[in-house]
Amino acid sequence: MNQFIQSLVDAISGGAILGLAALSIGLVFGVIRLANFAQGEIITAAAYTLIFTWQLGWFISIPLSIVVAVALSLLMEFTVFSRMRTATPATLLIASFGLSFLLQRVYEMLFTNTVQTAPVGSALAQSIDVGGVRIQMLSVVTIILAGSLLYGLTLFLAKSSLGLQLQAAAADFQTARLIGISASRVIGLSFALSGVLAAAVAFVSTVQTGAVGPSFGVPIVILALVGAVIGGIDKLSGALAGGFLVGFATSMLASWLPQDFSNFRDAYVFGLVILVLLFRPSGLLIRGRGVART
Amino acid sequence: MPTHEIGLQVENLCVSYQGVPAVRGVDLEVKAGEAIGLIGPNGAGKSSTLLGIMGATARTGTVRINGIDVAGLPPEKVVRQGVALVPEGRHIFSELSVLNNLKLGLVGRREKTGIPEAFAEVFTLFPILEEFQGRKAGLLSGGQQQQLAIARSLMANPDIILLDEPSLGLSPTAVDTVFEALDVVRKAGKAVLIVEQRAEFTIAFSDKTFVLHDGLITLTLGPSDANNVDVLTEAYFG
Repeated sequence: MNQFIQSLVDAISGGAILGLAALSIGLVFGVIRLANFAQGEIITAAAYTLIFTWQLGWFISIPLSIVVAVALSLLMEFTVFSRMRTATPATLLIASFGLSFLLQRVYEMLFTNTVQTAPVGSALAQSIDVGGVRIQMLSVVTIILAGSLLYGLTLFLAKSSLGLQLQAAAADFQTARLIGISASRVIGLSFALSGVLAAAVAFVSTVQTGAVGPSFGVPIVILALVGAVIGGIDKLSGALAGGFLVGFATSMLASWLPQDFSNFRDAYVFGLVILVLLFRPSGLLIRGRGVART
Repeated sequence: MPTHEIGLQVENLCVSYQGVPAVRGVDLEVKAGEAIGLIGPNGAGKSSTLLGIMGATARTGTVRINGIDVAGLPPEKVVRQGVALVPEGRHIFSELSVLNNLKLGLVGRREKTGIPEAFAEVFTLFPILEEFQGRKAGLLSGGQQQQLAIARSLMANPDIILLDEPSLGLSPTAVDTVFEALDVVRKAGKAVLIVEQRAEFTIAFSDKTFVLHDGLITLTLGPSDANNVDVLTEAYFG
Protein backbone atom coordinates (compact mmCIF):
# COMPACT_ATOMS: atom_id res chain seq x y z
CA MET A 1 0.00 0.00 0.00
CA ASN A 2 2.81 2.37 1.01
CA GLN A 3 4.58 1.67 -2.25
CA PHE A 4 1.41 2.42 -4.18
CA ILE A 5 0.95 5.80 -2.44
CA GLN A 6 4.59 6.67 -3.07
CA SER A 7 4.30 5.84 -6.75
CA LEU A 8 0.97 7.70 -6.94
CA VAL A 9 2.54 10.90 -5.55
CA ASP A 10 5.50 10.50 -7.91
CA ALA A 11 3.12 9.98 -10.83
CA ILE A 12 1.10 13.09 -9.95
CA SER A 13 4.35 15.01 -9.75
CA GLY A 14 5.51 13.61 -13.11
CA GLY A 15 2.14 14.42 -14.61
CA ALA A 16 2.20 17.94 -13.20
CA ILE A 17 5.55 18.74 -14.73
CA LEU A 18 4.68 17.34 -18.16
CA GLY A 19 1.33 19.13 -17.90
CA LEU A 20 3.18 22.42 -17.46
CA ALA A 21 5.48 21.61 -20.39
CA ALA A 22 2.48 20.77 -22.59
CA LEU A 23 0.73 23.94 -21.47
CA SER A 24 3.78 25.99 -22.44
CA ILE A 25 3.49 24.52 -25.94
CA GLY A 26 -0.29 24.94 -26.03
CA LEU A 27 -0.09 28.64 -25.09
CA VAL A 28 1.90 29.48 -28.21
CA PHE A 29 0.04 27.01 -30.44
CA GLY A 30 -3.29 28.57 -29.48
CA VAL A 31 -2.23 31.95 -30.80
CA ILE A 32 -0.04 31.32 -33.86
CA ARG A 33 -0.55 27.60 -34.56
CA LEU A 34 3.08 26.84 -33.83
CA ALA A 35 3.83 23.54 -32.09
CA ASN A 36 7.25 24.72 -30.97
CA PHE A 37 9.64 21.78 -30.88
CA ALA A 38 12.42 24.22 -29.89
CA GLN A 39 10.66 24.64 -26.54
CA GLY A 40 13.05 21.87 -25.44
CA GLU A 41 16.03 24.16 -26.02
CA ILE A 42 14.42 26.87 -23.88
CA ILE A 43 14.19 24.29 -21.09
CA THR A 44 17.84 23.36 -21.72
CA ALA A 45 18.96 27.01 -21.59
CA ALA A 46 17.17 27.52 -18.26
CA ALA A 47 18.67 24.28 -16.94
CA TYR A 48 22.23 25.31 -17.95
CA THR A 49 21.65 28.64 -16.19
CA LEU A 50 20.70 26.79 -13.00
CA ILE A 51 23.76 24.53 -13.25
CA PHE A 52 26.23 27.37 -13.86
CA THR A 53 24.82 29.86 -11.35
CA TRP A 54 23.58 27.64 -8.52
CA GLN A 55 26.63 28.44 -6.39
CA LEU A 56 25.53 32.10 -6.36
CA GLY A 57 22.44 31.09 -4.35
CA TRP A 58 19.00 29.89 -5.36
CA PHE A 59 17.56 33.41 -5.05
CA ILE A 60 19.83 34.53 -7.91
CA SER A 61 19.96 31.31 -9.90
CA ILE A 62 16.21 30.65 -10.18
CA PRO A 63 15.19 34.21 -11.22
CA LEU A 64 18.11 34.24 -13.68
CA SER A 65 16.95 30.97 -15.25
CA ILE A 66 13.46 32.47 -15.66
CA VAL A 67 14.93 35.57 -17.32
CA VAL A 68 17.03 33.42 -19.69
CA ALA A 69 14.03 31.24 -20.63
CA VAL A 70 11.76 34.22 -21.28
CA ALA A 71 14.48 36.07 -23.20
CA LEU A 72 15.25 33.06 -25.42
CA SER A 73 11.57 32.43 -26.02
CA LEU A 74 11.01 36.06 -27.10
CA LEU A 75 14.20 35.99 -29.17
CA MET A 76 12.90 32.96 -31.10
CA GLU A 77 9.66 34.81 -31.78
CA PHE A 78 11.29 38.05 -32.93
CA THR A 79 14.09 36.56 -34.99
CA VAL A 80 12.40 33.52 -36.53
CA PHE A 81 8.67 33.05 -36.09
CA SER A 82 7.57 36.69 -36.48
CA ARG A 83 8.98 36.49 -40.03
CA MET A 84 6.79 33.48 -40.82
CA ARG A 85 3.35 34.85 -40.00
CA THR A 86 1.75 33.59 -43.20
CA ALA A 87 3.41 30.15 -43.04
CA THR A 88 1.33 27.01 -42.55
CA PRO A 89 1.47 25.13 -39.21
CA ALA A 90 3.49 22.38 -40.93
CA THR A 91 6.11 24.89 -42.12
CA LEU A 92 6.27 26.44 -38.65
CA LEU A 93 6.77 23.00 -37.10
CA ILE A 94 9.63 22.21 -39.50
CA ALA A 95 11.20 25.59 -38.75
CA SER A 96 11.01 24.83 -35.04
CA PHE A 97 12.74 21.46 -35.66
CA GLY A 98 15.51 23.32 -37.47
CA LEU A 99 15.82 25.83 -34.66
CA SER A 100 15.93 23.01 -32.12
CA PHE A 101 18.81 21.24 -33.89
CA LEU A 102 20.66 24.52 -34.40
CA LEU A 103 20.44 25.42 -30.72
CA GLN A 104 21.57 21.94 -29.66
CA ARG A 105 24.69 22.37 -31.79
CA VAL A 106 25.24 25.83 -30.29
CA TYR A 107 25.02 24.32 -26.78
CA GLU A 108 27.53 21.64 -27.86
CA MET A 109 29.94 24.33 -29.03
CA LEU A 110 29.53 26.40 -25.88
CA PHE A 111 29.38 23.69 -23.20
CA THR A 112 30.73 20.57 -25.02
CA ASN A 113 28.87 17.30 -25.35
CA THR A 114 29.67 16.31 -21.78
CA VAL A 115 26.91 16.76 -19.25
CA GLN A 116 27.40 19.61 -16.78
CA THR A 117 26.59 18.89 -13.16
CA ALA A 118 25.79 20.86 -10.01
CA PRO A 119 23.89 20.05 -6.82
CA VAL A 120 20.85 22.06 -7.85
CA GLY A 121 18.17 21.90 -5.13
CA SER A 122 19.93 19.01 -3.38
CA ALA A 123 17.89 19.73 -0.24
CA LEU A 124 14.83 18.53 -2.17
CA ALA A 125 16.38 15.11 -2.80
CA GLN A 126 15.47 13.83 0.66
CA SER A 127 12.30 11.96 1.58
CA ILE A 128 9.80 12.98 4.20
CA ASP A 129 7.60 10.76 6.33
CA VAL A 130 3.87 11.37 5.92
CA GLY A 131 1.78 8.99 8.06
CA GLY A 132 4.33 6.24 7.70
CA VAL A 133 4.70 6.71 3.96
CA ARG A 134 8.04 7.95 2.59
CA ILE A 135 7.44 10.65 0.02
CA GLN A 136 10.08 12.47 -1.98
CA MET A 137 10.28 16.15 -1.07
CA LEU A 138 10.82 17.00 -4.76
CA SER A 139 7.50 15.37 -5.70
CA VAL A 140 5.68 17.48 -3.12
CA VAL A 141 7.46 20.67 -4.22
CA THR A 142 6.72 19.88 -7.87
CA ILE A 143 3.01 19.43 -7.18
CA ILE A 144 2.88 22.69 -5.16
CA LEU A 145 4.89 24.57 -7.82
CA ALA A 146 2.72 23.30 -10.68
CA GLY A 147 -0.48 24.00 -8.72
CA SER A 148 0.63 27.54 -7.89
CA LEU A 149 1.66 28.29 -11.47
CA LEU A 150 -1.62 26.95 -12.80
CA TYR A 151 -3.59 28.95 -10.27
CA GLY A 152 -1.64 32.12 -11.12
CA LEU A 153 -2.01 31.55 -14.84
CA THR A 154 -5.74 30.86 -14.50
CA LEU A 155 -6.19 34.07 -12.48
CA PHE A 156 -4.17 36.03 -15.02
CA LEU A 157 -6.12 34.66 -17.99
CA ALA A 158 -9.52 35.13 -16.36
CA LYS A 159 -9.12 38.41 -14.49
CA SER A 160 -6.67 40.62 -16.36
CA SER A 161 -7.34 42.48 -19.59
CA LEU A 162 -4.18 41.03 -21.17
CA GLY A 163 -5.20 37.53 -20.12
CA LEU A 164 -8.61 37.97 -21.73
CA GLN A 165 -6.95 39.27 -24.87
CA LEU A 166 -4.72 36.20 -24.95
CA GLN A 167 -7.74 33.91 -24.55
CA ALA A 168 -9.56 35.76 -27.32
CA ALA A 169 -6.57 35.54 -29.66
CA ALA A 170 -6.22 31.83 -28.93
CA ALA A 171 -9.90 31.26 -29.70
CA ASP A 172 -10.16 33.37 -32.88
CA PHE A 173 -7.05 35.28 -33.91
CA GLN A 174 -8.59 37.12 -36.86
CA THR A 175 -11.59 38.37 -34.88
CA ALA A 176 -9.32 39.36 -31.99
CA ARG A 177 -7.39 41.64 -34.34
CA LEU A 178 -10.62 43.02 -35.78
CA ILE A 179 -11.72 44.20 -32.34
CA GLY A 180 -8.41 45.95 -31.73
CA ILE A 181 -6.27 43.34 -29.97
CA SER A 182 -2.63 43.85 -30.92
CA ALA A 183 -1.28 40.74 -32.64
CA SER A 184 2.34 41.39 -31.69
CA ARG A 185 1.45 42.02 -28.04
CA VAL A 186 -0.52 38.80 -27.51
CA ILE A 187 1.99 36.72 -29.44
CA GLY A 188 4.84 38.18 -27.38
CA LEU A 189 2.86 37.54 -24.21
CA SER A 190 2.24 33.91 -25.13
CA PHE A 191 5.97 33.35 -25.79
CA ALA A 192 6.90 35.07 -22.50
CA LEU A 193 4.46 32.98 -20.44
CA SER A 194 5.61 29.87 -22.21
CA GLY A 195 9.20 30.80 -21.22
CA VAL A 196 8.19 31.09 -17.55
CA LEU A 197 6.61 27.63 -17.66
CA ALA A 198 9.69 26.23 -19.40
CA ALA A 199 11.86 27.61 -16.58
CA ALA A 200 9.68 25.81 -14.00
CA VAL A 201 10.00 22.55 -15.94
CA ALA A 202 13.76 23.10 -16.18
CA PHE A 203 14.06 23.62 -12.42
CA VAL A 204 12.26 20.40 -11.49
CA SER A 205 14.03 18.35 -14.17
CA THR A 206 17.45 19.71 -13.18
CA VAL A 207 16.86 18.92 -9.50
CA GLN A 208 15.81 15.40 -10.54
CA THR A 209 18.88 14.68 -12.66
CA GLY A 210 21.50 17.16 -11.45
CA ALA A 211 23.08 16.96 -14.89
CA VAL A 212 22.41 18.87 -18.11
CA GLY A 213 23.56 18.15 -21.66
CA PRO A 214 22.85 19.80 -25.03
CA SER A 215 19.73 17.71 -25.67
CA PHE A 216 18.41 17.87 -22.10
CA GLY A 217 15.01 19.31 -23.06
CA VAL A 218 14.35 17.08 -26.09
CA PRO A 219 12.77 14.03 -24.37
CA ILE A 220 10.67 16.33 -22.17
CA VAL A 221 9.33 18.24 -25.13
CA ILE A 222 8.60 15.09 -27.16
CA LEU A 223 6.43 13.71 -24.35
CA ALA A 224 4.86 17.13 -23.74
CA LEU A 225 4.02 17.52 -27.44
CA VAL A 226 2.49 14.06 -27.47
CA GLY A 227 0.50 14.95 -24.36
CA ALA A 228 -0.68 18.24 -25.83
CA VAL A 229 -1.82 16.47 -28.99
CA ILE A 230 -3.76 13.71 -27.23
CA GLY A 231 -5.38 16.18 -24.84
CA GLY A 232 -6.24 18.57 -27.65
CA ILE A 233 -3.57 21.17 -28.37
CA ASP A 234 -6.30 23.58 -29.56
CA LYS A 235 -7.39 24.11 -25.97
CA LEU A 236 -5.20 25.07 -23.02
CA SER A 237 -7.07 22.74 -20.69
CA GLY A 238 -6.69 19.97 -23.27
CA ALA A 239 -2.93 20.45 -23.58
CA LEU A 240 -2.56 20.53 -19.79
CA ALA A 241 -4.68 17.42 -19.24
CA GLY A 242 -2.92 15.51 -22.03
CA GLY A 243 0.52 16.40 -20.70
CA PHE A 244 -0.53 15.36 -17.20
CA LEU A 245 -1.90 12.07 -18.48
CA VAL A 246 1.29 11.18 -20.34
CA GLY A 247 3.50 12.14 -17.39
CA PHE A 248 1.28 10.22 -14.98
CA ALA A 249 1.16 7.11 -17.18
CA THR A 250 4.92 7.17 -17.82
CA SER A 251 5.68 7.39 -14.11
CA MET A 252 3.17 4.69 -13.15
CA LEU A 253 4.48 2.33 -15.83
CA ALA A 254 8.04 2.91 -14.60
CA SER A 255 6.95 1.99 -11.06
CA TRP A 256 4.76 -1.00 -11.78
CA LEU A 257 5.97 -2.70 -14.93
CA PRO A 258 8.22 -5.71 -14.33
CA GLN A 259 11.91 -4.91 -14.88
CA ASP A 260 12.02 -6.72 -18.25
CA PHE A 261 9.16 -4.60 -19.57
CA SER A 262 9.88 -1.24 -17.93
CA ASN A 263 12.72 -0.57 -20.36
CA PHE A 264 10.02 -0.31 -23.01
CA ARG A 265 7.70 1.94 -21.00
CA ASP A 266 7.79 4.70 -23.64
CA ALA A 267 6.59 2.15 -26.21
CA TYR A 268 3.53 1.47 -24.03
CA VAL A 269 2.90 5.20 -23.61
CA PHE A 270 3.09 5.80 -27.37
CA GLY A 271 0.88 2.76 -27.97
CA LEU A 272 -1.69 4.41 -25.73
CA VAL A 273 -1.28 7.63 -27.70
CA ILE A 274 -1.94 5.83 -31.00
CA LEU A 275 -5.10 4.31 -29.53
CA VAL A 276 -6.33 7.69 -28.32
CA LEU A 277 -5.66 9.35 -31.66
CA LEU A 278 -7.40 6.55 -33.55
CA PHE A 279 -10.60 7.14 -31.62
CA ARG A 280 -10.29 10.85 -30.77
CA PRO A 281 -8.14 12.40 -33.53
CA SER A 282 -8.76 15.95 -32.29
CA GLY A 283 -7.79 15.08 -28.74
CA LEU A 284 -9.56 13.84 -25.65
CA LEU A 285 -11.06 17.19 -24.65
CA ILE A 286 -11.96 18.59 -28.08
CA ARG A 287 -15.40 17.95 -29.50
CA GLY A 288 -15.56 17.17 -33.22
CA ARG A 289 -12.54 17.15 -35.48
CA GLY A 290 -11.21 20.62 -34.70
CA VAL A 291 -10.55 23.36 -37.19
CA ALA A 292 -7.24 24.24 -38.79
CA ARG A 293 -6.23 27.89 -38.70
CA THR A 294 -6.17 29.47 -42.17
CA MET B 1 -9.41 65.15 -51.08
CA PRO B 2 -9.16 64.51 -47.33
CA THR B 3 -11.74 66.07 -45.07
CA HIS B 4 -12.00 66.03 -41.29
CA GLU B 5 -15.69 65.21 -41.30
CA ILE B 6 -16.71 62.31 -39.04
CA GLY B 7 -17.40 59.29 -41.18
CA LEU B 8 -16.01 56.88 -43.74
CA GLN B 9 -14.80 57.61 -47.25
CA VAL B 10 -13.81 54.85 -49.64
CA GLU B 11 -12.32 55.59 -53.06
CA ASN B 12 -11.51 53.08 -55.76
CA LEU B 13 -11.25 50.18 -53.28
CA CYS B 14 -9.94 47.00 -54.88
CA VAL B 15 -9.50 43.64 -53.13
CA SER B 16 -8.27 40.45 -54.75
CA TYR B 17 -7.45 36.98 -53.52
CA GLN B 18 -4.46 35.30 -55.19
CA GLY B 19 -4.94 37.46 -58.26
CA VAL B 20 -8.71 36.92 -58.49
CA PRO B 21 -10.47 40.27 -58.06
CA ALA B 22 -13.29 40.36 -55.50
CA VAL B 23 -13.80 44.13 -55.28
CA ARG B 24 -13.00 46.22 -58.36
CA GLY B 25 -13.04 49.90 -57.56
CA VAL B 26 -15.75 50.67 -55.02
CA ASP B 27 -16.45 54.29 -54.04
CA LEU B 28 -18.72 55.09 -51.13
CA GLU B 29 -19.14 57.50 -48.28
CA VAL B 30 -20.95 57.16 -44.96
CA LYS B 31 -21.49 60.27 -42.87
CA ALA B 32 -22.26 60.60 -39.17
CA GLY B 33 -25.85 59.69 -38.41
CA GLU B 34 -26.28 58.03 -41.79
CA ALA B 35 -26.95 54.38 -42.66
CA ILE B 36 -25.71 53.03 -45.96
CA GLY B 37 -26.69 49.59 -47.23
CA LEU B 38 -24.62 47.30 -49.44
CA ILE B 39 -26.56 44.45 -51.05
CA GLY B 40 -25.92 41.99 -53.83
CA PRO B 41 -25.80 38.29 -54.64
CA ASN B 42 -23.36 35.84 -53.04
CA GLY B 43 -19.80 36.47 -54.16
CA ALA B 44 -20.52 40.07 -55.16
CA GLY B 45 -17.69 41.34 -52.91
CA LYS B 46 -19.73 42.73 -50.01
CA SER B 47 -17.80 41.10 -47.16
CA SER B 48 -14.50 41.69 -48.96
CA THR B 49 -15.35 45.40 -49.09
CA LEU B 50 -15.73 45.46 -45.30
CA LEU B 51 -12.55 43.44 -44.75
CA GLY B 52 -10.73 45.77 -47.15
CA ILE B 53 -11.90 48.80 -45.17
CA MET B 54 -10.69 47.18 -41.93
CA GLY B 55 -7.27 46.38 -43.42
CA ALA B 56 -7.86 42.67 -42.82
CA THR B 57 -7.06 41.77 -46.42
CA ALA B 58 -4.65 43.15 -49.01
CA ARG B 59 -6.26 46.07 -50.85
CA THR B 60 -5.56 49.09 -53.02
CA GLY B 61 -7.43 52.38 -53.13
CA THR B 62 -8.06 54.90 -50.39
CA VAL B 63 -9.92 54.39 -47.12
CA ARG B 64 -10.32 57.43 -44.89
CA ILE B 65 -11.74 57.16 -41.40
CA ASN B 66 -12.70 60.49 -39.89
CA GLY B 67 -10.57 62.10 -42.60
CA ILE B 68 -7.46 60.01 -41.87
CA ASP B 69 -6.03 57.72 -44.56
CA VAL B 70 -5.57 54.28 -42.99
CA ALA B 71 -3.42 52.86 -45.81
CA GLY B 72 -1.08 50.14 -44.58
CA LEU B 73 -2.49 49.98 -41.05
CA PRO B 74 -3.23 46.52 -39.58
CA PRO B 75 -6.83 45.91 -38.39
CA GLU B 76 -6.01 46.54 -34.72
CA LYS B 77 -4.79 50.05 -35.60
CA VAL B 78 -7.65 50.75 -38.00
CA VAL B 79 -10.04 50.02 -35.11
CA ARG B 80 -8.37 52.76 -33.06
CA GLN B 81 -9.21 55.32 -35.72
CA GLY B 82 -12.87 54.94 -34.73
CA VAL B 83 -14.35 52.08 -36.75
CA ALA B 84 -15.75 48.75 -35.55
CA LEU B 85 -16.78 45.67 -37.50
CA VAL B 86 -19.51 43.24 -36.51
CA PRO B 87 -18.34 40.23 -38.54
CA GLU B 88 -20.47 37.78 -40.48
CA GLY B 89 -21.35 34.82 -38.28
CA ARG B 90 -21.02 37.03 -35.19
CA HIS B 91 -17.67 35.58 -34.07
CA ILE B 92 -18.27 36.14 -30.41
CA PHE B 93 -15.86 34.37 -28.05
CA SER B 94 -18.11 31.50 -27.13
CA GLU B 95 -16.01 30.10 -24.26
CA LEU B 96 -15.93 33.48 -22.48
CA SER B 97 -18.75 35.07 -20.52
CA VAL B 98 -20.97 37.77 -21.98
CA LEU B 99 -19.32 40.29 -19.66
CA ASN B 100 -15.81 39.29 -20.75
CA ASN B 101 -16.84 39.58 -24.41
CA LEU B 102 -17.99 43.12 -23.69
CA LYS B 103 -14.76 43.90 -21.81
CA LEU B 104 -12.81 42.77 -24.87
CA GLY B 105 -14.71 45.35 -26.90
CA LEU B 106 -13.04 48.01 -24.74
CA VAL B 107 -9.62 47.11 -26.17
CA GLY B 108 -10.32 49.13 -29.32
CA ARG B 109 -11.60 52.15 -27.38
CA ARG B 110 -9.70 55.35 -28.03
CA GLU B 111 -10.55 57.07 -24.75
CA LYS B 112 -10.24 55.29 -21.43
CA THR B 113 -13.00 57.31 -19.75
CA GLY B 114 -16.75 56.69 -19.81
CA ILE B 115 -16.49 52.92 -19.41
CA PRO B 116 -19.31 52.51 -16.83
CA GLU B 117 -21.50 54.63 -19.11
CA ALA B 118 -20.59 52.39 -22.07
CA PHE B 119 -21.79 49.32 -20.16
CA ALA B 120 -24.96 51.15 -19.13
CA GLU B 121 -25.66 52.15 -22.74
CA VAL B 122 -25.30 48.64 -24.18
CA PHE B 123 -27.36 47.17 -21.35
CA THR B 124 -30.10 49.71 -22.08
CA LEU B 125 -29.94 48.85 -25.77
CA PHE B 126 -29.85 45.09 -25.15
CA PRO B 127 -31.31 44.35 -21.66
CA ILE B 128 -30.93 40.60 -22.17
CA LEU B 129 -27.14 40.99 -22.07
CA GLU B 130 -27.27 42.52 -18.60
CA GLU B 131 -29.42 39.63 -17.42
CA PHE B 132 -27.06 37.03 -18.95
CA GLN B 133 -23.76 38.84 -18.33
CA GLY B 134 -22.30 35.94 -16.33
CA ARG B 135 -23.39 33.31 -18.85
CA LYS B 136 -21.00 31.70 -21.31
CA ALA B 137 -21.53 33.50 -24.65
CA GLY B 138 -21.74 30.23 -26.58
CA LEU B 139 -24.90 29.34 -24.64
CA LEU B 140 -26.83 32.35 -25.97
CA SER B 141 -29.35 32.01 -28.79
CA GLY B 142 -28.39 33.23 -32.27
CA GLY B 143 -30.27 36.50 -31.82
CA GLN B 144 -28.70 37.10 -28.42
CA GLN B 145 -25.25 36.37 -29.84
CA GLN B 146 -25.86 38.94 -32.58
CA GLN B 147 -26.86 41.47 -29.93
CA LEU B 148 -23.65 40.65 -28.08
CA ALA B 149 -21.56 41.09 -31.25
CA ILE B 150 -23.10 44.53 -31.85
CA ALA B 151 -22.76 45.48 -28.17
CA ARG B 152 -19.10 44.39 -28.18
CA SER B 153 -18.41 46.68 -31.11
CA LEU B 154 -20.21 49.58 -29.40
CA MET B 155 -18.01 49.22 -26.30
CA ALA B 156 -15.18 50.68 -28.39
CA ASN B 157 -17.33 53.81 -28.90
CA PRO B 158 -16.70 53.85 -32.66
CA ASP B 159 -17.79 56.68 -34.93
CA ILE B 160 -18.40 54.20 -37.72
CA ILE B 161 -19.89 50.73 -37.37
CA LEU B 162 -19.70 48.13 -40.14
CA LEU B 163 -22.08 45.16 -40.00
CA ASP B 164 -21.72 42.03 -42.10
CA GLU B 165 -25.02 40.17 -42.49
CA PRO B 166 -26.42 40.98 -39.03
CA SER B 167 -29.71 39.20 -39.80
CA LEU B 168 -28.12 35.95 -40.99
CA GLY B 169 -29.82 32.94 -39.42
CA LEU B 170 -32.02 34.99 -37.09
CA SER B 171 -35.75 34.70 -36.44
CA PRO B 172 -37.96 37.60 -37.64
CA THR B 173 -38.33 38.84 -34.04
CA ALA B 174 -34.59 38.78 -33.49
CA VAL B 175 -34.05 40.65 -36.78
CA ASP B 176 -36.49 43.35 -35.61
CA THR B 177 -34.61 43.69 -32.31
CA VAL B 178 -31.29 44.04 -34.12
CA PHE B 179 -32.54 46.66 -36.60
CA GLU B 180 -34.32 48.64 -33.88
CA ALA B 181 -30.99 48.80 -32.02
CA LEU B 182 -29.19 49.85 -35.19
CA ASP B 183 -31.69 52.66 -35.64
CA VAL B 184 -30.87 53.89 -32.13
CA VAL B 185 -27.16 53.70 -32.97
CA ARG B 186 -27.67 55.69 -36.17
CA LYS B 187 -29.75 58.31 -34.38
CA ALA B 188 -26.98 58.62 -31.78
CA GLY B 189 -24.85 60.03 -34.59
CA LYS B 190 -22.82 57.02 -35.64
CA ALA B 191 -22.18 56.19 -39.29
CA VAL B 192 -23.56 52.74 -40.15
CA LEU B 193 -22.51 50.62 -43.15
CA ILE B 194 -24.54 47.46 -43.37
CA VAL B 195 -23.98 44.51 -45.67
CA GLU B 196 -27.06 42.32 -46.05
CA GLN B 197 -28.77 39.63 -48.09
CA ARG B 198 -32.24 40.82 -47.03
CA ALA B 199 -32.61 43.45 -49.73
CA GLU B 200 -36.03 44.85 -48.86
CA PHE B 201 -35.18 45.24 -45.20
CA THR B 202 -31.86 46.93 -45.92
CA ILE B 203 -33.20 49.32 -48.54
CA ALA B 204 -36.04 50.40 -46.26
CA PHE B 205 -33.69 50.89 -43.32
CA SER B 206 -30.81 52.67 -45.06
CA ASP B 207 -30.63 56.26 -46.26
CA LYS B 208 -29.02 54.93 -49.42
CA THR B 209 -28.29 51.39 -50.64
CA PHE B 210 -25.66 50.35 -53.15
CA VAL B 211 -26.04 47.20 -55.18
CA LEU B 212 -22.77 45.35 -55.66
CA HIS B 213 -22.27 43.00 -58.60
CA ASP B 214 -19.02 41.26 -59.40
CA GLY B 215 -17.06 43.69 -57.23
CA LEU B 216 -18.60 46.83 -58.74
CA ILE B 217 -21.42 49.13 -57.59
CA THR B 218 -24.02 48.85 -60.32
CA LEU B 219 -27.06 50.57 -58.82
CA THR B 220 -27.98 53.06 -56.09
CA LEU B 221 -31.35 52.74 -54.38
CA GLY B 222 -33.35 54.84 -51.92
CA PRO B 223 -35.80 53.76 -49.19
CA SER B 224 -38.74 54.22 -51.60
CA ASP B 225 -37.36 51.38 -53.77
CA ALA B 226 -37.79 48.82 -50.97
CA ASN B 227 -41.05 47.41 -52.31
CA ASN B 228 -40.35 47.90 -55.99
CA VAL B 229 -40.10 44.36 -57.33
CA ASP B 230 -38.74 45.49 -60.71
CA VAL B 231 -35.91 47.40 -59.11
CA LEU B 232 -35.04 44.51 -56.80
CA THR B 233 -35.07 42.04 -59.72
CA GLU B 234 -32.81 44.40 -61.66
CA ALA B 235 -30.53 44.71 -58.63
CA TYR B 236 -29.99 40.97 -58.27
CA PHE B 237 -30.34 39.60 -61.78
CA GLY B 238 -29.12 42.55 -63.87
